[in-house]
Amino acid sequence: MALNILVVDDSSVMRSIIIKTLRLTGLSLGDIWEAENGEEGLRHLQEKWIDLAFVDIHMPVMDGNEMISHLRENDQYENLPVIVISSESDPGKIEMIHKQGATFIHKPFKPEILKEVIIAVTGVSNEDKD
Amino acid sequence: MKTKIKKVLEEAAISTFEDICFMYAVPELKEIQNNLKMEAAAEVKYHGDYTGKLLIETRGGLFSAIAANILSNDIPTPRQKRDALGEIANIICGNIVTCLGRGEQGYKIESPKFLKKDMLGKEEQQGKPLSEITLNFNEGRADVKFFVDGYFDAKEKKK
Repeated sequence: MALNILVVDDSSVMRSIIIKTLRLTGLSLGDIWEAENGEEGLRHLQEKWIDLAFVDIHMPVMDGNEMISHLRENDQYENLPVIVISSESDPGKIEMIHKQGATFIHKPFKPEILKEVIIAVTGVSNEDKD
Repeated sequence: MKTKIKKVLEEAAISTFEDICFMYAVPELKEIQNNLKMEAAAEVKYHGDYTGKLLIETRGGLFSAIAANILSNDIPTPRQKRDALGEIANIICGNIVTCLGRGEQGYKIESPKFLKKDMLGKEEQQGKPLSEITLNFNEGRADVKFFVDGYFDAKEKKK
């Protein structure tokens, strides 16, 4: 199954690095959508089929915690796999991310780690043979 | 440790530029690249069994080229250029600390800090790097320096 992925981060550079790293995992990828903040991310989710979301925590307009809270309150997205990639090191904030049902990856990250986590949270394991 | 770090630093920096920026180092240093003025620098500090930092400096247009290649956008904004250089430093640093013992899990890596030229002068007075490499690209040059706090002091005491 090719994964449709949403990448939410206010830094266009970080979004691009996440997408490039995703392509290095060898996993089969479908459409990849980008959003600059949580609000824009939620709009994408209403309009498209998304299998997995990468969400930054520190963003303007709507931060990652608020976006994930909205997801968990909505029947349609309550089980959506969410991965938070951040340089956050406050244990309390990381614990909060886990409590929201998201998986935390500390920056910097490697393709191998990303692949391992994606397989764990989505259950997919097929590799892109192209 | 010094030889191992240099090898890992070189491999990590080359693969990061190739994988993330699609930029490929050229082996020979062009004459003109010897005397290029520094245009930007970023550092990433790490803490664990050892503490220190990784510093990356760009010359000859590489600062803009890194962001342009990551974003596939010929005219990146100043923020995009700073973010790109910082993230490259972050990724390279994350690859190197695993060589210092206990693996990456034992190290806390701080967010990248962009250095203005006046700050860089002060940073360079803080000691000499354990290892440093220069990578030359068609788009400019990168000097990557890896510092381990107290490494040279400990060596001196042993003597």
